[in-house]
Amino acid sequence: MSELVNVTIDGVEVQVPKGTLIVEAAKRAGTEIPVFCYHSKLDPVGMCRMCLVTVGTPVRNRETGEFEVDDNGKQVIRFFPKPMTACTTPVSPGMVVITQSEESIADRRGILEFLLTSHPLDCPVCDKGGECSLQDLTYAYGPGVSQFYLEDKHHSPKKEPLGDLIYLDSERCILCARCVRFEDEIAGDPVLAIDNRGRNSKIVSYSNPKFDSKYSGNTTDICPVGALTTRDFRFGARAWELESTPSVCNLCGVGCNTVLNTRFDEIKRVMPRQNEALNEIWLCDKGRFGHHFNGSQNRLTTPLIKKNGQFEAASWDEALALVARKLELSKEKTGGVAGAHLSNEDLYIFQKLFRTVLGSNNIDHRIGLNANWDDQLAFEVGAGVGTDIGRLKSESAILVLGADLDEEAPVLYLRVRGSARRGAHLINAGGRWTKLDNIAEKSLRYRYGAESALAWGLVAAVLDEGLENKDFVAARVDGFEGLIDAMKSFTPTRAAEQSGVSEDDIRAAARTFAKAENGVVLYGLESGGNESLQAAIKTLLLITGHAGSANNGAIAVLPHANSRGAADMGIVPNRLPGYRPVEGEAGLSAHEMLSPDAPLPALYIVAADPAAQSARYKAAIEATEFVVVQDLFMTETAQLADVVLPARGTAERDGSFTSVERWVQAFDNAVSAPALAWADWLAFTALAGKMGASWSYASADGVMAEITQTVPLYAEMNFDNLTRPISLERKMSHYIYSGTSFTADTREGLQWRSVAEASEAKMPVAFIAPADVPPAEGMTLVAPRVLYDGGTLIAQAEVVSAHIQPAHAVISRKDAAQLGITADDSVTLTVPGASVTVPVRLNGLVPQGIVLVPRNLSGFPAEKLLGSKRLTAVKITKVPVAELA
Amino acid sequence: MWSDVEQKELEEILKKYPTKRSALLPALYLAQREKNWLDDDDILAVAEALEVPVTDVQAVIGFYTLFRREPTGKHMIHVCTDLPCALRGAEDFYARLTRRLGLPSEGGTTADGLFTLEAVPCLAACDKAPMCQIDLQYYENLTDEMIDTVLAQFRAEAQQESGA
Ligand code: SF4
Ligand code: SF4
Ligand code: FES
Ligand code: FES
Repeated sequence: MSELVNVTIDGVEVQVPKGTLIVEAAKRAGTEIPVFCYHSKLDPVGMCRMCLVTVGTPVRNRETGEFEVDDNGKQVIRFFPKPMTACTTPVSPGMVVITQSEESIADRRGILEFLLTSHPLDCPVCDKGGECSLQDLTYAYGPGVSQFYLEDKHHSPKKEPLGDLIYLDSERCILCARCVRFEDEIAGDPVLAIDNRGRNSKIVSYSNPKFDSKYSGNTTDICPVGALTTRDFRFGARAWELESTPSVCNLCGVGCNTVLNTRFDEIKRVMPRQNEALNEIWLCDKGRFGHHFNGSQNRLTTPLIKKNGQFEAASWDEALALVARKLELSKEKTGGVAGAHLSNEDLYIFQKLFRTVLGSNNIDHRIGLNANWDDQLAFEVGAGVGTDIGRLKSESAILVLGADLDEEAPVLYLRVRGSARRGAHLINAGGRWTKLDNIAEKSLRYRYGAESALAWGLVAAVLDEGLENKDFVAARVDGFEGLIDAMKSFTPTRAAEQSGVSEDDIRAAARTFAKAENGVVLYGLESGGNESLQAAIKTLLLITGHAGSANNGAIAVLPHANSRGAADMGIVPNRLPGYRPVEGEAGLSAHEMLSPDAPLPALYIVAADPAAQSARYKAAIEATEFVVVQDLFMTETAQLADVVLPARGTAERDGSFTSVERWVQAFDNAVSAPALAWADWLAFTALAGKMGASWSYASADGVMAEITQTVPLYAEMNFDNLTRPISLERKMSHYIYSGTSFTADTREGLQWRSVAEASEAKMPVAFIAPADVPPAEGMTLVAPRVLYDGGTLIAQAEVVSAHIQPAHAVISRKDAAQLGITADDSVTLTVPGASVTVPVRLNGLVPQGIVLVPRNLSGFPAEKLLGSKRLTAVKITKVPVAELA
Repeated sequence: MWSDVEQKELEEILKKYPTKRSALLPALYLAQREKNWLDDDDILAVAEALEVPVTDVQAVIGFYTLFRREPTGKHMIHVCTDLPCALRGAEDFYARLTRRLGLPSEGGTTADGLFTLEAVPCLAACDKAPMCQIDLQYYENLTDEMIDTVLAQFRAEAQQESGA
């Protein structure tokens, strides 16, 4: 605990840590000092002078050094002759601050008069009206009239695109630079700046494309005026007319907390809901603008039954009766694929339907390139409850392995970046450059396919240098001796040979990680997540003692909003909910179910579109006798189905998701659904009813009540707990004046405890030899994930359509030069049995010998080439222009 | 965009600074030297050479009036018309100069493309007003005759160059 000092603010005495800024100390004393440029998430700059206050300090006697006291025994305070900026002045012992002195009030009036010299005073038509600091503070402190000449007002365009998603109105801008500083400091995208000077100053962006940042929407939230507005919400509604519903973003696994602002049953905007443990006050642009699948015109609105090759509308009763009849026949041979966008409640009921009604373990949530990742690690040594990845102390180490967080889990990238910026040791291990390399203390560039070799190399280095945490090993680790034996053959030198990372770097990284007070490992889609890798990470965490407590452990950066929940709920062929093994034989994986050579008699596919991904899947679905698809849209897979059932979007129902950091979080119903669309769990329940079960779930809440009974990990996760308003104390500790017209912090989720923290038992470690061998010759194809991919949900958001990446391949400039390929070319990529032709992009940061084809793009080129592998050798040839035409 | 000579100079400049970013102003001067203004390619080249975001380079250019984003005359004439100079007749001097160069009162580029005239704030030679700066050279205690002589020299030079 740092040293505390006593200060008096407007007569209220408070104790705050030394170094606290006056503006923050004042909050503790219950006083809001008016600010414009200051923002508690940004470094203070003192640019706007709005926060001027009168400050005094106790007088010391020059001779004795004692504090001087007056006749009444009170300390004598000497006030500084000039006002001080509360946002840049730290408190000192005995300091006295007066925020409402006559001078300060006059100062504020003066500053506001200046800020308003060229302001258009168009609050009645401004999107920020009703939640604008400038409006609020002008009411509180501003002058009623201006002394400036009306005709001297500066004019500039009202609607200038600062980027594709954000408009700038310079007339309203007060040049606080919050937007610029957010992009520089928090996002690490230095794409905004102030151009020119004096009255001609203006926010500009010259990146290509302009305002090239995945976090641009946040600038509109923290802009204290209406200078920045989003294309999505501009003139959409008045802030005070909106209703607010707490929700959770379902577009990636981070699980950012959101508020859905609705009017007349329509989502008008998505705003961040403050949750300091998870997304703080940020959202990525995909989450903010990607909500349009709710209420889309293209939605499925009725059950459909295919008759003579044509879909015909049907009632739920008819459709479910047909499905029930068919599944009665296929029973335990039925296969089920449930996408990881579904809520925990849906998934739980889905597996219950399969396991108890149909008697089948053929269920899976992983298809395509994610098919081989079965994540158990987070269950065993997941980052401890209370881990705050955005505020790790400087004595902490973060190892990122095979994760491009900026693309895969954007807000998690912001958080990791935040910790690194404040001094945590960040080791970024990847096969290529990723944005975190900009701020990483150490970047390890491994050969693709050698992820587990590198991870075991770190273990070997820790052992070799005797850096293991001996107490922790003695208390909590089983099989340590055996590990040392087994690892004799796998030295750091060996790891260096296999991974292409130098032995020195491996050793240095291992030292940093082992010696750190706390250690977290984040591993992502490019790491492969195979058994050997998971074992290596687990071993590394256990032998260094970075397990079983807050700010220690592993985070699997899984692909979808509820990938974690899908693993928790047992949507895998070999495990029941709560990571218990199935009794008897494991079922088939999605990859096995979707095999054209051995099709199942029936498939139930929910919130997934395997047919679009590969010819193999498509053929398998065509070969399957009876196919039910339940989704929001008429996907390629749905077109092949015999029965199609319309589901509800996230905003049209309630439920819960579990984030990659194991936060279980409830979301509420904000808008109504198409009349005949049902929540997925309801459809499964009704079907079970038709097949003789007598389940009586009436709400997601009710399903969760059962989960709390049957899945010990979720024992606490009832909706009462998940929706409980956050405590006043908690609010006070992070309160940020955001100006929003709604309460921005309403609830927080709950985390479940991993095995390492739930018990004191010893945990086994064992060496599993690295499995992946990199493709031997030629170019290697890698399929990274990009944020704006060809996903079904984001495709409905017209506002971001310019950002959606079309199918393409990326190669290094050097390889391009050698192959005679230029940026205008297309290339044909060939593997045995498949070939695709896509436009090529050149990038100086891609390593030589690597072809990147992002996964999940339109036409699924990566999936077509890779099948269920994650790497492959690929032949690349330039397509002559004539051939394309 | 950098010529071989400029490339060498740039390398010399970079040696003088602890970080590449610090060399932004001299690098921009260098980039601007040849044609007196900066086009998009120049800016990109500076950004790449110094590993600074393009937006930051643009903002610096915007801040300093001596960097130009539009083509100018071959020589830049900056006449100070700030208060101390004005008290010594600089405003009148400037007005007469615009007329003699056939330019409007806000200055601009002459029809022959030889000069760009601009009124500027204090150039720190207040005691020697009227004064002006042509390219990097100061001309002080000016009279109309003196400036005519100077301009005539530039014109002669230009003629020689085009003749040669
Ligand atoms: S646009 Fe908004 S955030 Fe950016 S400087 Fe202007 S007022 Fe501040
Ligand atoms: S980071 Fe993920 S969860 Fe957060 S807003 Fe973006 S897509 Fe949604
Ligand atoms: S808030 Fe203190 S100077 Fe802007
Ligand atoms: S006022 Fe003209 S040089 Fe100073």
